[in-house]
Amino acid sequence: MGENDHATVRAILAGDRDAYAALVMRHSATLFRVAYRITGNQADADDVVQEAFLRGYRKLEGFESRSNFGTWIYRIAVRCALDRIDGRKTNERSRVSEETDPEQQAVQVADEAAGPERLLLSAEIAAMQQMALRSLTPTERTAFVLRHMEDRSTEEIAAALGIAPNAAKQAVFRAVQKLRQRLANLRVRI
Amino acid sequence: MNHLNEEELVDHYYGEDAAESRAETERHLETCPQCTEALRDLKCDLEEMKAGGDSQAFAFLESPAGVASYGRRVWAALASSLEPYAARKRAGLRLTLWQGLAYAAACAVLVACAFYAGRQWEHRQPPVVAHVAPHPAAKQPVVIVVLGDHLDRSERLLVELKHTDADNEEMAVPLRDEARTLLAANRICRQNAKNSDDPALTKALDRLDHLLAQLASQKDDLDSDTIERLQKEMNQGNLLFEVRVLRTRIPDRQASAGRSQGGTI
Repeated sequence: MGENDHATVRAILAGDRDAYAALVMRHSATLFRVAYRITGNQADADDVVQEAFLRGYRKLEGFESRSNFGTWIYRIAVRCALDRIDGRKTNERSRVSEETDPEQQAVQVADEAAGPERLLLSAEIAAMQQMALRSLTPTERTAFVLRHMEDRSTEEIAAALGIAPNAAKQAVFRAVQKLRQRLANLRVRI
Repeated sequence: MNHLNEEELVDHYYGEDAAESRAETERHLETCPQCTEALRDLKCDLEEMKAGGDSQAFAFLESPAGVASYGRRVWAALASSLEPYAARKRAGLRLTLWQGLAYAAACAVLVACAFYAGRQWEHRQPPVVAHVAPHPAAKQPVVIVVLGDHLDRSERLLVELKHTDADNEEMAVPLRDEARTLLAANRICRQNAKNSDDPALTKALDRLDHLLAQLASQKDDLDSDTIERLQKEMNQGNLLFEVRVLRTRIPDRQASAGRSQGGTI
């Protein structure tokens, strides 16, 4: 697989643009999974996958042949997803802070505190978990997703986020702590 | 061992704790129901997080056909925005070539402008020499230097003439040769003295000229009568004394000229 990727990269750099299709077909599912887990919705995940492959193509000359293309493009996708939720969080913050309509604010608050009967439904549980995940900082959320759902090591997380391993470990711990606090009510009700 | 804190429990759950501490933690968990329960709660919470949520979102990726279909969809969205690498490189090369040409043209224009501006500036500037009007005193030091040297040599000639034995013709010949040399210089000095309106110096140089001319015009057989006559003529007019006086004036004039011209002399 890795050797195939390297041969494909060489072909692309030699001018065979369509060879990139093979890499896209091979790695897009993996990228979609991680992008979805970080962004929390399919539309953003699709955008992240496309953006990651686009960035990857443009930086392909800088790709070192000793690296694994899958790992390399995976890290790019994680960075794209992180950028996306980072930007989204900023937009959400500004939208809420600029909101002056009391009715609109009431709707938002109601969504945050769901009733006990809704929690009985598994879909609602998933929604609560997503909400809890959204309450994390982009770095905490990405670190948690990579550690807990993608089974990546601390070193891989640190490399993907561009932070020190110890900082990555702390980000995972803070995420677990916050999630457990937010989902404590859910655990008691169940 | 103390109870495990939450961070240690999380490390243990993810297998991030070191091998030694891991064994120690496991021993502790065997004997501590409180920590065992805490770890069980943690596992429960985290497993719920893993189970809940995204399995439905990835349903379309479970089959190879679904993966291929998704890959094709991504490629279809991307393909039009990707430019082939070789073409990109050629475009880059063209850009570099054009940039190089632009730089060369800019440099050429810059040099031409600088050259033109330099020419214009040179034409508009009057010649430097025309601005420097010769100061009257400026030439004077040169004349004084020549005059001082001339007077020195003339003084020596006159002293030798005064003490020359009229019967010794061998001594007279070098005097005549020296007189011929001094004659030309004396005429220049006399002309300069006349121009600089110095009557005393002009008069002395006139008399010296007369004496030098007589001495220089002698032939090889310079006789004792001629020498005596010249000696008499020199002594009558106190020419030697006069030359010495003029010579003593020179250092003063040199000094004043030097001060006025910043010590160039």
